[in-house]
Amino acid sequence: MPHNHRVSPPPTRLLGRHWRAVRYLLVGGGTAALSLAAVLGLLLVVALCAVFGLGLPVLPEAARLGRWLTGVERRRVARATGTPIPEPHRVVTGPLRTQVRIIVTDPATRRDLAWMVLHGLSGLPFAVLAVGLPLGAVNQWLIPAYWWLVPGGVPSGFDYQVNSWSRAGIAVGYGIIYAALALLVLPAAFRGQVRLAGWLLRPADGVVLSDRVAELTASRAAALDAHGAELRRIERDLHDGTQARIAAVIMQLGIAEQLRGRDPDAAFDLIRTAQDTATSALAELRDVVRSIYPPVLSDRGLDGAVTALAARCPIPCALDIADIGRRPAAVEAAAYFIVAEALTNITKHSGATGAAIALHATEDTLRITVSDNGHGGADEDLGSGLVGIRRRVEALDGRTGLTSPAGGPTELRVELPCGS
Amino acid sequence: MRVMIAEDDALLREGLVLLLRTAGIDVVAAADNADDFLAAVTADRPDIVVVDVRLPPTFTDDGLRAAAEARRRHPGLPVLVLSAFVENSYAAELLADGAGGVGYLLKERVGRVEQFLDALRRVAKGGTAMDPEVIAQLLVRHRADDPLATLTPREREVLALMAEGHGNGTIGELLFVSDGAVHKHIRSIFGKLNLPSDEAGHRRVLAVLAYLNAK
Repeated sequence: MPHNHRVSPPPTRLLGRHWRAVRYLLVGGGTAALSLAAVLGLLLVVALCAVFGLGLPVLPEAARLGRWLTGVERRRVARATGTPIPEPHRVVTGPLRTQVRIIVTDPATRRDLAWMVLHGLSGLPFAVLAVGLPLGAVNQWLIPAYWWLVPGGVPSGFDYQVNSWSRAGIAVGYGIIYAALALLVLPAAFRGQVRLAGWLLRPADGVVLSDRVAELTASRAAALDAHGAELRRIERDLHDGTQARIAAVIMQLGIAEQLRGRDPDAAFDLIRTAQDTATSALAELRDVVRSIYPPVLSDRGLDGAVTALAARCPIPCALDIADIGRRPAAVEAAAYFIVAEALTNITKHSGATGAAIALHATEDTLRITVSDNGHGGADEDLGSGLVGIRRRVEALDGRTGLTSPAGGPTELRVELPCGS
Repeated sequence: MRVMIAEDDALLREGLVLLLRTAGIDVVAAADNADDFLAAVTADRPDIVVVDVRLPPTFTDDGLRAAAEARRRHPGLPVLVLSAFVENSYAAELLADGAGGVGYLLKERVGRVEQFLDALRRVAKGGTAMDPEVIAQLLVRHRADDPLATLTPREREVLALMAEGHGNGTIGELLFVSDGAVHKHIRSIFGKLNLPSDEAGHRRVLAVLAYLNAK
């Protein structure tokens, strides 16, 4: 970043520092005005939320605006001090309700607001001083040069007229006071403003770590929830389907046994029925097994299973699978279902003529990328497939990224941790 | 007909042996793991082998790999694979050499004894026997412009039965239509799918399966 005192070289280093402070305070006046406006706007949004709930959809946008403003200030401070301030905010994504929750519970939001109020109130007066003090000094010093040209003297800026040399001398004295004030107050105000921003706009102590802990706690809770829901689904499927049908088979065979002497034809029919019932029980059992852990995964590993998925996909799929070896079963199953769901989405919605799947692994991470050349515009809020993928990823404390501009191409990136 | 069996579940293995012997078929060996099975096949070429996909030692797809190996040792050896689940890619692998004499059925189909024996004989003669579930998965229409969409419901039925490996006669019987009507449907199907209509018998089935697999 070019420093202004190099662009217009000052007579002394002192003046250079001074000029930097003045410039910083001047621009600060602008951001202070914006801060005040933002705080007022936010009060309005909050009022609307409280009264009608109308403001809720605007809240994430308002927060984004606020974050932009604090971002500008953070960069300004970084330029002035040479030390960058880390970004403290949590990422705002997901459906509206989640976004609002993230914004409201983020401690950085409160710190942003505190800064906006303090800076909004202090920044404008300091900006006025930054202009007024140096100009006032120059003005006072110029008075001896022209007061005698003006009939009746010139106003001194205080409650007397400068109409004699002695009073002009006093004006020069005032000019010195102005200049002294400028040299004393402005650098101090500059340092104060920088310190204020540096203090409030960086992450609060311990927040980074506590955020991570909160994230892990939430993803662990989600994993337990997902696991519980999965167990209940399997229980229901087995109980309502397979178990009920096998009970029916036993009953049908029992009745056939009773009938075999009296009515062999009816007994034979019942044996046939029992066979049909057992067959459909088996078909259901197969579906349950496949939904828990696809057998092809244990036969062929993730590599072979994904290759089979790609082969079955009606859209030509390019595969790029590095040597991924075996991973924990939960990770392999999640990866398999993620690729399967992504391919289903592509087939159903993208209008693509080609897709690509990439699987790469480091020691502790599995990276999945599924992309297509379709028309893009994939939206998490519209399709349940992407929501399902995200849920699977979150349950394993992984990360999901989606880029899908209108007109395409679409790329889904997933990272699954898999400490082996 | 001389059959060799590879199935690790004792109940199923003995059941299969009993069922085949009852039908007057000669079971010359019944192994409970892939290695013993391969040794038996190498020592004495049977007319057909019946193999479970999952076998010891690794309980993954040992059976499938043993079947492929047996076919390498005896080119054209008919192979009927039984499995607790269907996986289309396995069917495609079995069909890949284009030689025919391949079957891939769910285990419970054994319970329909006559249909199972029919499938076994078909495969032994170089034909194919694909499980209806495999064909159902292959027939899933994924795209609006899929030529399969242009088939009438009756033509889809005929195509499915043909892909399972049935001949015209059986298809006619199963659908209660005349041979002539089956011929007419098949001509129409081949026209719509743009397949060569000069193939006949097993080669025709393989052409249909290749089409469905490549789709």
